[in-house]
Amino acid sequence: MPATVYAHRWLLASFLRRELGTRYAGSVSGAAWALLHPLALLAVYAFIFTTVFRVQLPPTAGGASYTAFAAVVLWPWIMLSEGVTRGMESIQSNAGLIRKVAFPHALLVYAAVFSSFAVHAVGFAAVLVTLAALGEPIHLLRVPLVLALLFPLCLAAVGVAAILAALQTLLKDVEQVVSIGLTVVFYGTPILYPLALVPESLRSWMNVNPLTALAERLREVLLAGSGLQLSDLWLWAIALAVWWVGLKFFERLSPHFEDFL
Amino acid sequence: MTPAAATATLAGNHTGGSVLVALQGIGKDYPKVAAGGDRLRTLWGLLAHRADIPHFRALHGVSLEIRRGEAFGLVGENGAGKSTLLKIIAGVVKPSAGTFQVAGRIGALLELGSGFHPEYTGRENIFLAAALMGLSRRETREKVEAIVAFADIGQHIDEPIKHYSSGMAVRLGFAVATALTPDVLITDEVLAVGDESFQKKCIRWLERYLGDGGTLLLCSHSMYHVQTLCTRAMWLHEGEVRLQGDSFDVTREYLTFHEEKNRVQEQSPRAAEGLNPLIRAMRLERADGTVAGTFASGEDMVLQGLAWSPDGRAPALLFGIVRADGTPVYGAHSDDSGFTPLRADDRHFAFAARFPALALLPGKYTVRIHALDPEGLRLFDTLEKDIVVTGRTRDYGLVRLAHEWRPGTLRPEAAKAP
Repeated sequence: MPATVYAHRWLLASFLRRELGTRYAGSVSGAAWALLHPLALLAVYAFIFTTVFRVQLPPTAGGASYTAFAAVVLWPWIMLSEGVTRGMESIQSNAGLIRKVAFPHALLVYAAVFSSFAVHAVGFAAVLVTLAALGEPIHLLRVPLVLALLFPLCLAAVGVAAILAALQTLLKDVEQVVSIGLTVVFYGTPILYPLALVPESLRSWMNVNPLTALAERLREVLLAGSGLQLSDLWLWAIALAVWWVGLKFFERLSPHFEDFL
Repeated sequence: MTPAAATATLAGNHTGGSVLVALQGIGKDYPKVAAGGDRLRTLWGLLAHRADIPHFRALHGVSLEIRRGEAFGLVGENGAGKSTLLKIIAGVVKPSAGTFQVAGRIGALLELGSGFHPEYTGRENIFLAAALMGLSRRETREKVEAIVAFADIGQHIDEPIKHYSSGMAVRLGFAVATALTPDVLITDEVLAVGDESFQKKCIRWLERYLGDGGTLLLCSHSMYHVQTLCTRAMWLHEGEVRLQGDSFDVTREYLTFHEEKNRVQEQSPRAAEGLNPLIRAMRLERADGTVAGTFASGEDMVLQGLAWSPDGRAPALLFGIVRADGTPVYGAHSDDSGFTPLRADDRHFAFAARFPALALLPGKYTVRIHALDPEGLRLFDTLEKDIVVTGRTRDYGLVRLAHEWRPGTLRPEAAKAP
């Protein structure tokens, strides 16, 4: 499957350029929206959880404010949720192309997911630098290590998006289910709250979700300055498995897309 | 001749280059997806590799071979499965039955303007189309100017495609397809959309492309284009091959089929009998009296007609022949020949006009017959029939004029001074 992508790298590049180019085409502030949307979310969450609910951060947060605590996981979450959503829609929104031209359809999913990750990675970097400048204990030197955690997230997003895109093409109900599912996962993952606040009995359940481990690791690396661990390979293993299964499923159905679009 | 027999006899007819496209027993069933339940059953069927998916049949048992350097025509009514077949060859649709091999790079112009992103400018779409064909950005850059020049849409090339007219999108699509020099070029009704001069440009390009050994798969409703560009053709009817073989034979059979279909439909009541002369019936026959819509150049044609006159006086008649594009070829009055139609009963008059050794060159024509008042002054009624004249000739123009080549008598002194 990577061979297919390499053989069609120019097409993938073209799709990526198109994804990035059309995303904010026609809007006044253009790419600024990519940053404004998560910033607005962050402001709302910061208000709710520091002024209304007053969340107590554990000492592992390294003395960061709630805003920094939430921000380091919120951006990766937005990459994932947006990547999955756009990837899922990529087949339908390019129906015109699929009906007329022969090419590996998975490239559309890759392009949609990669572009979401790329756009928000830039925003993420800008936010981290800003927070550090404001005196938050962000370990900027650890930022490159974050890539080793975000790359498996991206691969897994491709896998999940591929399954959803194939299903969405055949059954129109998938979109509805996914938007509910994403909300459940969002609140079921310690993004806005520390895992330490979750009752002991539920914590083992939450650990089944690999995103929980990822969220914890992101905070350890960025806020506590920890390095990479051998256990991070588990995240890679899970991501590779999701990606592989997702694409196998996709390839099984993709020759029939034209019949349904 | 049955379709199967036609295919068999013609299979050995062509020799030449290597086989670029080979289809054996291709069938395509489209799943029925209107209801949600059908969609679920189909999804399950596809995942479990089961065959009992609710479907309708778009193509059945199509076999075809196209060799390098060949031009192949595809004709058939709307919904006969032509586009589905082209999509299978282009690799866009997966056939549900049969096997197929395609060698080389396929360039497909399926329902034009396709593969274009509406928000993107023409120039940006050129890069996207080139990437779809596997070209790098650098390779594309070298070809862009040629594409822009061929499309010849001026400043519009830097405007979004969504502001293009359908004709402009076609021009760009054809320009892109031509610049990327595919091994096999598939065109689906491309020539029908562009304006006259662009059509000519396309035909000229196609002729050069074929002359240079290019391979073409042309789907068209213009029998003229199929006859002039293609050597072999296939007629698809309701998803199956009705006839395959020499393009002249296939197009003639196809046109005859339409003639017969139209004749059945045309037996509708004519305008009410009034005070003016009418033409009540008209048909075109061969020398042996059989009704026909297609004549070979040089064959005899007979126009049979029945006129009606309100006062029982024989009406004057006028026939005219025009080419399909409206250019008049010839017309003549019955008066001038001193002809009076034969009285069939009180008010009906039968007449015929014989055209021995039809001089029309191959092409489409319309034969008209008009009824005039007995004085031959006012024209009251018209009936017309389209005909196709077939034949193979390098002559051009409208009609063949009698001529003979012979030794000349001019001396060198007659040459113009240099």
